Amino acid sequence: MGHGRSTRSMLAMMTVLTLGACGGDEGAPSGPWKLEASLAEAGAGIPFCEAATARVSEFMSQFEGQMPPSDRYGGSVVVGDIGDIPEGMNNHVSQDYTSSQHQFFVNLMTLVQYDEDLNPIPYLAESWEVSDDKTEITFHIRNDVYWHDGELTDAYDVAYTYNRAIDPETAFPNSAYWTHYDQGPGGVEVVDSFTVKFRMRPHADYIDPWRATAIMPEHLLGDVPSSALSQHPYGTVCPVGNGPFVFVEHRQDASWTFQANPAFPAGLGGRPYLDRYTHRKITETTTLLTDLLTERLDVYIVPTPDQAQAILDSDVVDLLQYPFRNYVLVGWNARRPQLSDKRVRQALTIGTNRQEIVDALLQGYGTVANGSVPPFHWAFDESVGKNSMPYDQGAARALLEAAGWVDRDGDGVRENAAGERLSISIKYNEGNDLRQGIAEIMQAQLAEIGVEVAPTVLEWGTLLGQLTDPTHSEYDGVVISWVVEFKLDDTDLFHSDNFMGAYGWSGTRRPDIDRLLDQLPLVIDREEAKPLWREYQELLVDEQPYTFFYFPDRLDGINKRLRNVKMDARGEWLNIKDWWIPADQR
Amino acid sequence: MRTFIVRRLLGAIPLVLGIATIVFFVVNLAPGDPTLRFLNPNMSDAAIEQVRVNLGLDQPIHVRYVRWLGALAHGDLGYSFTRNRPVLDIIKEILPNTLLLSLTAIGGAFVLGILLGIVQAVRQYSLLDSVASIVGLFFYSMPSFWLALMMVLVFSLFAYQGNWLIQFPPSGMQSVDYTFLSPVGKLQDRLAHLALPATSLSLVLAAGIARFTRASMLEVIRQDFVRTARAKGLSEPVVIFKHALRNGLIPVITLLGLYLPFLFSGTVFIETVFSWPGMGKLIVDAIQQRDYPVIMGGSLVFANMVVVGNLVADVLYAVVDPRIRYE
Repeated sequence: MGHGRSTRSMLAMMTVLTLGACGGDEGAPSGPWKLEASLAEAGAGIPFCEAATARVSEFMSQFEGQMPPSDRYGGSVVVGDIGDIPEGMNNHVSQDYTSSQHQFFVNLMTLVQYDEDLNPIPYLAESWEVSDDKTEITFHIRNDVYWHDGELTDAYDVAYTYNRAIDPETAFPNSAYWTHYDQGPGGVEVVDSFTVKFRMRPHADYIDPWRATAIMPEHLLGDVPSSALSQHPYGTVCPVGNGPFVFVEHRQDASWTFQANPAFPAGLGGRPYLDRYTHRKITETTTLLTDLLTERLDVYIVPTPDQAQAILDSDVVDLLQYPFRNYVLVGWNARRPQLSDKRVRQALTIGTNRQEIVDALLQGYGTVANGSVPPFHWAFDESVGKNSMPYDQGAARALLEAAGWVDRDGDGVRENAAGERLSISIKYNEGNDLRQGIAEIMQAQLAEIGVEVAPTVLEWGTLLGQLTDPTHSEYDGVVISWVVEFKLDDTDLFHSDNFMGAYGWSGTRRPDIDRLLDQLPLVIDREEAKPLWREYQELLVDEQPYTFFYFPDRLDGINKRLRNVKMDARGEWLNIKDWWIPADQR
Repeated sequence: MRTFIVRRLLGAIPLVLGIATIVFFVVNLAPGDPTLRFLNPNMSDAAIEQVRVNLGLDQPIHVRYVRWLGALAHGDLGYSFTRNRPVLDIIKEILPNTLLLSLTAIGGAFVLGILLGIVQAVRQYSLLDSVASIVGLFFYSMPSFWLALMMVLVFSLFAYQGNWLIQFPPSGMQSVDYTFLSPVGKLQDRLAHLALPATSLSLVLAAGIARFTRASMLEVIRQDFVRTARAKGLSEPVVIFKHALRNGLIPVITLLGLYLPFLFSGTVFIETVFSWPGMGKLIVDAIQQRDYPVIMGGSLVFANMVVVGNLVADVLYAVVDPRIRYE
């Protein structure tokens, strides 16, 4: 990559002048594959790491000098991100998005992946079968996937990963994945080295956990006590994966570097086209944009909407835009007397011009939401999800009056029969301009229909503490974002059983919603489930536990030299092994 | 002098421990919960409780304090809650970055500031003095993060777009292909990455130092001993640099004692803008994430920096002023 060369050239000239010495850079590797020397230095002084990296070096060195016969191979890519990969490559203790992406698609492997329609496709598991009564699933593992230290990945690794995940001492952050799996003795059975069987209860998303759990190496971590896994150097100092990229170096709070795995199975596409991939943490959005526009970065993960135009105007980068899995909402605490009537909550939603706010705050890079099912998902119902609650201040006023809220003293704010004002606070977290904008614009727009809104800013930790407090007594409304899993399930949010739970923010309870939330996870056939999902989305629109605000589009800035980049709701690193750079642009 | 330094360092031990103790209790008793980052319906309450156990947060605060103190006595600062690494390893990796940036910036600031201050004092009320004062005031009153962003835009973005001869990288402390550079190439690369953040810090500090130096030098060059030096027939450079400057530097050295600890901790905006992986950003992140062990480890480092910074200033007093003796 050519970035930084001009600065170095200039400084090289200065150095020649001042020091009288000649020097130049040797440049990034090019040509046949060569093991990077930094890999052997990872975790120096830590016995586990020294042993592990020595084995990786030994195994990988046999591939030195090899290069498949295609000019697509070669080059390095730098991805810039405002966040780090905080939990590294240790899936046992990981839930962070970027960490998970690198585990699933870069350094480790999951048993299955999803295609564009969210159907499972083989990855580490080359096939699987489910018993007729949907109580057993048997995976057949590929027999040609090697850990980067030369050990074969096998069924014992899969069983080990599962046993760790269900061990309470591990504190696996996604323990709910396995609630419909048999966690007792005999729940998992290794049939042979490459076949493993699990017992479970019938469930619509029985395979989803295997899309979201990277398989971990038993031969390296099997002896580590579960409670000590989070502190083990494997995750952040010297990971040994089995995915398309081999870990090379982690510079704390700065970067992670990987290089192509020459031993990646040919059946899965063989070694990645790229020689080298670096993830950089860059902590300021202006700097990130500058790095992208000056071609020091190939990919800028999630530029802000107000940076999109600068990217579109550039000759060297493209903007990718696609729907993602999160939505922004204003949650209403129905335990509050002024918010207990659903007509009030409906009025707050239709009294707010959400499209205008999306256009103003997101420069149009978002879609107004009317429920929790994202528009790209098969369960999304267009007739309900689009324009269910159009902006209509006249209708909002009528709803408020029907609910008994009338401006009785002529001060512009409605009161109920007892003289209590229709006054609500909307809390948001410090440092989030979008959420602040939503709260402030709602304040102005709802004032027009006689609702007094007080935007209130709180430090993030404090706000979370108030939201998850079991009494749910410290907020009226809150602007927050929610990430949807592919396995849709709003039980924690809206089921009456979780009324006072950590996520029971709205405090709404409806038997018909409960019935659907109980029923939907058991309907395996999508066509059979779709009418139920439609009914569920209609009930949410009617109940308005939240003002579902918008599904923001995910944006990514990509250098034009980078080819075959696919990004969608499944993630940015989805097909990194297939990215390539034309030879004359490396 | 040696006795003085040893006495000061020994006296600093209870001070540093006292600071660390106060920080420990303030941080641990402040609102917020380190396990809130696991807030996720996929994580059961039992799993969150297990995280507490694994992190030692299930123990009462006095037990945690005694454990922390005991570990500290063995040189163990614990494990970061969020970075899953020993705090000592993290600090060992991050602290040199901060020292490199801070010491470069402070060195540049003092050289530039003192030279500018001397010129302004010697040429008082000249056009040069007026221009330097206005420019100095401009930088002195400028928020460092704004200056940093402007430098990124000008010397990285505009320089790239205009294909200028000089361009600087806007972020990081080394290129991604640093490993493959020759030793000279590595030095050049590091200097290129250091240029913008160090300059951003230096300019703001130098402006203040220049004003201090100017005022101090003006006072000194009017004193009798300077007139005597001139009367003896000494050349002007000898009068200024040998006789006046040594006296004029004493208040400026006080600034060094103040700036050193500030620079170790107060570079967070510069670290953020330039993505310089340093201690300031590490601790701010740790506070937001309630990463108690990192906050404690970082606080200990800063407390020691303050002690060392003040000690360096005190020693320098004696170096520049023969009248000051610590024996």
